[in-house]
Amino acid sequence: MKKQLSLALATAMALGLVLSGCGGGSKTSGNGGEESTVAAGGDGTEAAAAGDSGSGVDTTGFMIDVLNADIQTADVQKTSKDYTMPQNIFDRLLDIEVDDAGVSKIVPSLAEDWEISGDGLEYTFHLRQGVKFQNGNDFTAEDVVYTFHRLLTVENGVNTELLDQVKGASEVIEGSADTLEGVEMVDDYTVKITLKEPFAAFLSCLTAPGLSIYDSEATEAAGDQFGMDPAVTVGTGPFRFASWTFNDQLVLVRNEDYWRGAPELPGVVIKVIPDTETQTMMFESGELDLLDLDFVADAADRFLETYPEQIVQGPRVGITYFTMNFNIEPFQDVKVRQAMQMAIDRQAILDALYGGRGQVENGIYPYGLIGFNEGQTKISYDPEGAKALLAEAGYGDGFTMELAADASASDTVTMALEIIKEQLAAVGINAEIKNYDESTWLETRKSGELGSFMSTWTADFNDPENFIYTFFGNEEKTKIRSINYPDTAVMARVSGARGIVNEDERLAEYQALEEKLIHEDAAWVPMYSRMHLWAVSKRVQGFKPVWSGVSDRSYYGISLSE
Amino acid sequence: MLSKILKRIAISIPVLVGVVLAIFIMLRIVPGDPVTTMMGEHVNPAVIEKISREMGLDQPLIVQFFRYVANALRGDFGTSYRLNRNVTQIILDAFPNTVKLSLLAAAVAWVIGIVAGIVAAIQQNKLLDRLFMGSALLGVSMPVFMTALVLQYVFAFKLKWFPVSGFDSLKAMILPAIALGWNSAGSIARMTRSNLVEVMQNDFIRTARAKGLREQGVIVGHALKNAMLPVVTMMALQLSSMLSGAVLTESVFGVPGIGRLAVNGIETRDMPLLQGTVVFTTILIILGNLIADLLYNVLDPRIREDG
Amino acid sequence: MKDERQEGRADGMEEGGKIPKPDTMAMDAQLGEADTWADKLRTLVRQNKMAAVSAVVIVLMILVAVFAPWVAPYDHLAQSLTERLQDPSAAHWLGTDELGRDVFSRIIFGARISLTIGLVPTLISMAIGTVLGLCAGFYGGKTDFIIMRLADVMLAFPSLLLAMVVMYTMGGGLINIFIALSLVNWAGTARIVRSHTLSLKEKEFVEAARSIGVKKWTIMFRHILPNCLPSLIVLFTLNIPSAILSEASLSFLGIGAQPPSASWGLMVVRGKKYLFSEPWLSIAPSVAIMIVVLAFNFLGDGLRDVLDPYLKEQ
Repeated sequence: MKKQLSLALATAMALGLVLSGCGGGSKTSGNGGEESTVAAGGDGTEAAAAGDSGSGVDTTGFMIDVLNADIQTADVQKTSKDYTMPQNIFDRLLDIEVDDAGVSKIVPSLAEDWEISGDGLEYTFHLRQGVKFQNGNDFTAEDVVYTFHRLLTVENGVNTELLDQVKGASEVIEGSADTLEGVEMVDDYTVKITLKEPFAAFLSCLTAPGLSIYDSEATEAAGDQFGMDPAVTVGTGPFRFASWTFNDQLVLVRNEDYWRGAPELPGVVIKVIPDTETQTMMFESGELDLLDLDFVADAADRFLETYPEQIVQGPRVGITYFTMNFNIEPFQDVKVRQAMQMAIDRQAILDALYGGRGQVENGIYPYGLIGFNEGQTKISYDPEGAKALLAEAGYGDGFTMELAADASASDTVTMALEIIKEQLAAVGINAEIKNYDESTWLETRKSGELGSFMSTWTADFNDPENFIYTFFGNEEKTKIRSINYPDTAVMARVSGARGIVNEDERLAEYQALEEKLIHEDAAWVPMYSRMHLWAVSKRVQGFKPVWSGVSDRSYYGISLSE
Repeated sequence: MLSKILKRIAISIPVLVGVVLAIFIMLRIVPGDPVTTMMGEHVNPAVIEKISREMGLDQPLIVQFFRYVANALRGDFGTSYRLNRNVTQIILDAFPNTVKLSLLAAAVAWVIGIVAGIVAAIQQNKLLDRLFMGSALLGVSMPVFMTALVLQYVFAFKLKWFPVSGFDSLKAMILPAIALGWNSAGSIARMTRSNLVEVMQNDFIRTARAKGLREQGVIVGHALKNAMLPVVTMMALQLSSMLSGAVLTESVFGVPGIGRLAVNGIETRDMPLLQGTVVFTTILIILGNLIADLLYNVLDPRIREDG
Repeated sequence: MKDERQEGRADGMEEGGKIPKPDTMAMDAQLGEADTWADKLRTLVRQNKMAAVSAVVIVLMILVAVFAPWVAPYDHLAQSLTERLQDPSAAHWLGTDELGRDVFSRIIFGARISLTIGLVPTLISMAIGTVLGLCAGFYGGKTDFIIMRLADVMLAFPSLLLAMVVMYTMGGGLINIFIALSLVNWAGTARIVRSHTLSLKEKEFVEAARSIGVKKWTIMFRHILPNCLPSLIVLFTLNIPSAILSEASLSFLGIGAQPPSASWGLMVVRGKKYLFSEPWLSIAPSVAIMIVVLAFNFLGDGLRDVLDPYLKEQ
């Protein structure tokens, strides 16, 4: 009987395999796909061995890292969320370096030095010579021109805004121009970039992962497989993309010829494990070298206690903010908005959900960002004051409002909303949590009609412009954040500040605007900025979080002791 | 016999079309623009429009549907929004892992289920019956992801008998297989037990007993053979629940299988990926049912006569 | 979800020739029903202690759910950030959760949501399935063919995946869970009711009713339906736990119940994050789920033994 059973089951499965195999094969035989996993199919339990040998990588001695969701692509021009691979495979023209005092400055990378014209419009970059891509090609000015043009024209491109200040960018996006006027190759190692109007944050912009430099020849040849097929995804960075088995693991291997000197790590295996408890157990069983505690926030306290020596932390240069939509009753009234600022006990939330690791913020620019103002006006938790203000505004009996929760946000954000709901109830405001799925949430927010929500904006590049302009740059920007800040004069100043060439004047203007927006107009409730905690295994040396404190990591500089 | 088989197959075809149509319609009435979601924060409206056009999302639904079916017939489930890769290829890459997991889980379910069922039937309403049925039912009564987590915690994390995650060796596959198989074991145990109890009261068993065969011999030799028939058909049904359970087990243990793809599809709102995964899984189940039906016909002489 | 599916399909599988023949049951229903039901209940209590105990547990759970505000020691939504994640104590029997809410009270209020999730979609889906099954069996021909092919389509989906697709389309939330689970579960019922109807409509009492000109709908609902009731009751008890488990699975995938509501499934999922430091946060609601699921399963098995010997064949 048993034999018949297993036979039948096997037949069912085999038939499925054959049928699906035929269908798939005819379509995809042309373009390579994922050899490693395909190879694993027939070999029964030898899957892993086949997977590794398929990609030809011996991963002994590699560091083991983990992600809770697989990346979409390693092509940073097509993703605005997965920066770990680009961070390690590619280089940018410029980098950001943070010294021990926490002061960050822009340093050379692929561009050795640069000049800026007096009117702030022309940037001339002198490129590093003798840098090679991982396929052996030389890095030259042509690659820069190619990369920037591709960013604006590539199918499914998402980071075009990084270059929208460059002369001719919009023409290229719209298709009315073939070449990007503002990016010129002067000679093999000199590139001149011309802007539409002065833009003080442009150098910072060039440090963003989205502006990683590609090899013109290899990238063009790879077509849409660039970023998908490890073999054709090459850069100048410290690690080479060696293999990718979807939903399973990504493998990076040391670039022996890296221009800054070969990394000490022979390579990195990045596992994809969606369940955070599984990740925690893996780390504690010695199956992981690095664990991002942001995703297991609740375990942070226990980790700090159990592995105090193994915790690495750095500030997340990002502000958590709570919005009030000016188009929704009664948030037109500044008194109501100020009452909201006073009614939310931000320190209590930070303490409860993040063990107090971080600091309460009072403005727009978070701790760690250029332009952060230690001395600005503080907002204090004052429920009685809030009630008084509400009464003055004619809402002594409170009102009903919506807290818009994004289902894709982390549990801690939802918990924060639950706490805020209770705190608002204490001053008589009836806040109702409404759950949106990610898509609807995003679309409603972009239409400017979303109720109050809480979110975090983390720096793309180190400049206040990246924060204030994103939310209060013009009517469109403030609308798609569902803030609908109405004062066009203030927004004109925000936009104008981008062009102030004198650095001190520019920062002073940004701080004045912050004061006006947050303390005079109470345009949002600044919440807090947090520390980002990581746990590393005992053998990991030299791990440093990326300057902005995002989860994407750079493996250069790490070594394993053993 | 042959005409019966052909008839069965013929019936499966409209079901298949119905399934594709049902999924297609369900996924099209999603509120919100898929391209907006897929592109996330930094995006230019002109790009969104361009992509919608390229993906044919500006076409009438009926055109989209026929295009989808035509492509699916050629084995092309479209391109994943997020992964920018051929969905068929993604599914085929993940498929072997799910097959391995399901086969192992089926083995676990059958061993636990049938053993528990037999013991329970022999010891009907005694302590052993309760004990075995209870432990078989335990698997059904916990959320699958909790079963998985508890197994992982006890046997991998505390006792260190198995790795916490991974699917690259037989050893690593054991816990996921138990987590998934235990869930089906309860149903199999229950069915085995009630069939055995019933069959044992039949005349021929009494005859066998009268002939002096020992109790064990009677059960194994005669009763089991007769009682297993309906259990065979359950195999195909288990395929359905197993593929459901795989969605959760794969997530907990980090197995790169089809269930994970469905979750990817939901989480990243990747319609072609979700659609392809559901259609593919459903085809598997329809095939499984078809085979079970045919097998049942072959195995059961009574039906052959009737049919 | 799973159980129902298996029962439903196994039944459909027997179309070939093993259609149940509930003559005696039909007779019973025609004679005094009250006696029969009471007798059966007595048989149940006598024969199967486990089922009887389960019935008591279920009734208790329902009472607790109904009277939650009076039973629970605390307001299940009241936060106390200074008292978060406390160990079980005399004040908080099962400790407090991540926002300092009393876990015991949340489980009591959670019974409301979880039992509703078990009951409402099961009722809806079985009502749909019953009507469709009656029509299919009674009218036969094209109606039968269309309804049964529709049922085939629904049964071809892996239940959880189908629920996921529905939730993907409509988003999370209680109402949508009801819809998703109702859609998923009707087909099994339809199959069973159809096969009962097929055999019953040949019976004398139906023929008799038909010959004196009783309307079709009256025959279906007054004469045939009551004879399907025993099977339906058994199916009902077995469907409830799978709906409760499905909700937990959907919550795990982030598309189930939404906070701050306290379904047991969501409590397990949220508590799971504290498995290493505060294990009771996930274990307590898990145990609650287990008790209810086991109770319904035992009761269903027991009921099947006494009410519906024909279903037992599978």
